[in-house]
Formats: sequence, structure tokens, C-alpha cells
Amino acid sequence: MAASFTLRGALLSVSRLRCRTPGPPAGAAGLRFVCNAGPEERRAGIIESTEEYRFVERLIPPSRVPAPPRHAGVTPSGWSPPADSPPPLPYVIRRSRMHNIPVYTDLTNGSRKMTLIRKVEGDIWALEKDVKEFLKEVTGKELPTQVNEVTMTLKVKGHFDGELKQWLTSKGF
Amino acid sequence: MSVPKKPGGKALEVLQNLPRITLANLRPEPGSKQREKKRGRGQHGGNRSGRGHKGERQRGTRPRLGFEGGQTPFYLVIPKYGYNEGHSRRPQYQPLSLKRLQYLIDLGRVDPTQPIDLTQLVNARGVTVQPLKRDYGVQLVDEGADIFAAKINIEVQRASEGAIAAIERNGGGFSSSPSRSSCAGSLSQRECCQGRIWSHITQIAENRGYLADPEKIRQARLALAQKYGYILPDISKDELYHMLSMRKDVRQIFFGLAPGWVVNMPEKKILKPTDEKLLKYYSS
Repeated sequence: MAASFTLRGALLSVSRLRCRTPGPPAGAAGLRFVCNAGPEERRAGIIESTEEYRFVERLIPPSRVPAPPRHAGVTPSGWSPPADSPPPLPYVIRRSRMHNIPVYTDLTNGSRKMTLIRKVEGDIWALEKDVKEFLKEVTGKELPTQVNEVTMTLKVKGHFDGELKQWLTSKGF
Repeated sequence: MSVPKKPGGKALEVLQNLPRITLANLRPEPGSKQREKKRGRGQHGGNRSGRGHKGERQRGTRPRLGFEGGQTPFYLVIPKYGYNEGHSRRPQYQPLSLKRLQYLIDLGRVDPTQPIDLTQLVNARGVTVQPLKRDYGVQLVDEGADIFAAKINIEVQRASEGAIAAIERNGGGFSSSPSRSSCAGSLSQRECCQGRIWSHITQIAENRGYLADPEKIRQARLALAQKYGYILPDISKDELYHMLSMRKDVRQIFFGLAPGWVVNMPEKKILKPTDEKLLKYYSS
């Protein structure tokens, strides 16, 4: 994000520019708007307001991911919220910090396709069994899988991110 | 090896009960590391050392890449043409699909009850604009026009016709204008507004430009509704009509704020000048 808009920087630089009040000495050349009025008159010529501050607050980028609003079912973009209570299974798959299902595809060496399920908690071997059964119904083949107990991830050979995401949302994760 | 007490914890149990891992205890999986072939040694690496038999191949005197034995090579036969000439000076617009916009609205990152601007999209991390890479703003792409269902007031720099149709079909407001912050560096604002670079975008009603005639915009909306086959909803009867019809002033960069105002962030106050010389300067 280093090269993208830094609105706060622009705002502060704008306000710092305007803050340089044109004061005497009169030898301040180059200032188009030098006003020779005294400091009291200058301060009286300023209006203070707090109603428009909400426009400034809208410009400040939030530092945390906002919680999604309540939806009853699938949204038009295809995102569906997790179930209110976790399903009664021996494992749990948490959502990512952007509230999405943590299923990702990987392509290495130009042709090695893999699907990765991250953020698994609980009994990962039961999840592996369920995933193998589900993919056997979908494809008809026994697909090789790899369980990593240290990072609690599951890798499956082949690209199945669409099917696995739909299956996990139907389970309620 | 130790017997695991509960399923799913084998590796951690093993790690906890075995002695400390050091460099002396580690060994690669048998079969994972293959020995490299040393050239010039042994029956298979020696003799001609993989260079072939005589000629330029073995002697290492092959001509340069692209040489075709004297025939005019391919890269010289084809004539030059300026396809990429000036590519680094062309304006670029970061694409934003309607599918992604709908996703951002559904997840609450973009607020549809307020006018959506380039700053709102960047704050929501919906798009990443790089002004140093000649990005002049955002363009709307009509991927996802069929699933788009949100009533919004959006202002971007460019949009395809299908995207404008999808927004207006759902009763929203659309306008296009150059991003004032990007053109401030290269040209002054007045040259920007009147320049030939953007006049074909900003003054045309089909793009809903901010300098276009409102009557022509109204006719263009009706024409687009007929072309894409939907009934144009009447937004003047909508409760959010005031928000949907909010448009920025020609020289305004941020909604609701005017140049010359000083923002006091710790006390959350805005100080506005009243001297008419200052006001004249800031509105020039």
C-alpha cells in the first residue's frame, strides 16, 4: 500500500499549507494574501464548525476489517455468512480475517495443482476422511491428500476449491 | 517411538517426547535428495562431458541467439511498428468489476447509503490505485452485471456501458469525472477541466460526465434503458434521492469539504475563513 493514496498525508499537508498564517513582517515577499490586520481581527474572521467533521472522518481509512452486516442466507455476490452455532462435528474450520472460507488453490512447477484447506481446528484426520469421501462422490477417484498436523492444514491433489467451498458452507462453517 | 494418546496429535506428541532436535539428529527423507551429476568425472560424467561430438556444440563457438546461418533472421524480417510506443505515458484505469463491488457491499466494507467515491473504494481496500504507475483512477467493468443488486451513488473515472446500465437498472446514480488528485501533479486543474484529454469523457452524456448537459444525461439514461431492455426506475421518488443525486462541485476533491478549510483533528473542528480575499483565492 506504500504507493497507493495516502489520504491522511494529503489532508495533513493541505492543512499544514493553510495553517501558515500570513503574519508581519511586511518583508514577506511572495505571499499573495498578506493581510495587515491585527491578530484579533484575523481570529474573529474564522468560523468554527463541527457538523462537517463527519466528512473528514469518512476519509480516514479504517485499520480493522469491519464486521459484515447480518444477512439471511446467500448474498447476491455468492458470499454466505457462517452459521450462528458451529456444526456438531469433531473439527472446526474458522473463517479468514476477511470472513471467507480458507480454501486456496496452488500451482507449482507449472502443472502441479493442489487445493489447500487452512485454519482447521480439532480432529484433522476426520476432516481428511470426510473430504476424501466427498471428492470420491464428486470425481469418482481416490485423491491423494496430505495432512500437516503442525500447521493444521490439509492438501488435496487437484483444483477443487469451488466444490470444497460450497461443501463447507453447506456444513455451516 | 512413543504411542500417541489422542488422534490428530501424533506429530506434536512425538516432538514433545523425543530428545531435543539438533543438527546432529536431522537427516533428509531417504530418496528426497538426488546426487548431482559431476561433469568430467567417471563413466557417465566423463569422456565428452555432455557436450556432444565435435563441431560448434562441443567447442563452444555457437553463434548468437536468433542467428539463422546468414538468412535474415525472424526478428529483423518483421518491420517495426509502434504498438508499445509511449506505453508508459498512457493513462491507466484500475478495473473494478460489479461482482467485486457487490462483494464489498455485502461484506460491509463499502457503505451503499453514502456516495461511493475513489477515496471510499481505496479506504475499503477494494481497489489499489498506483498514481506513480500512471493510474488515473478506476473504471467499472461489467463482469457481474447480472448479479448486481445494490442501489448506490457511485463516481468513477470510466465505466463500460453495461456497468452504467446495471447501476441505473437498480435505481442508482452514476457519474464520471477525472480524479482531481491525480491530475493535480501534471497539469493545473483548469487545464485539466478544459483540456482535450478528458473533454471527450467529461462532456459526453453517454459517460454521464460531470460537465455534461443534465437534459442530455436524462435522454441518455432513457436510451440506455431501451437498449438494455429494462424500465428506468424513477429515482426522484426514492427516499434516498438526496444522497443518490449528490454530485461533487467541478473543482471539489472530497465530498462535503471545500478548499481553504483548516481541520483540527484532536478537537474535531473545522475552521473556515471568512475574509473575502481568502474566499476569492480559494474559489479561483
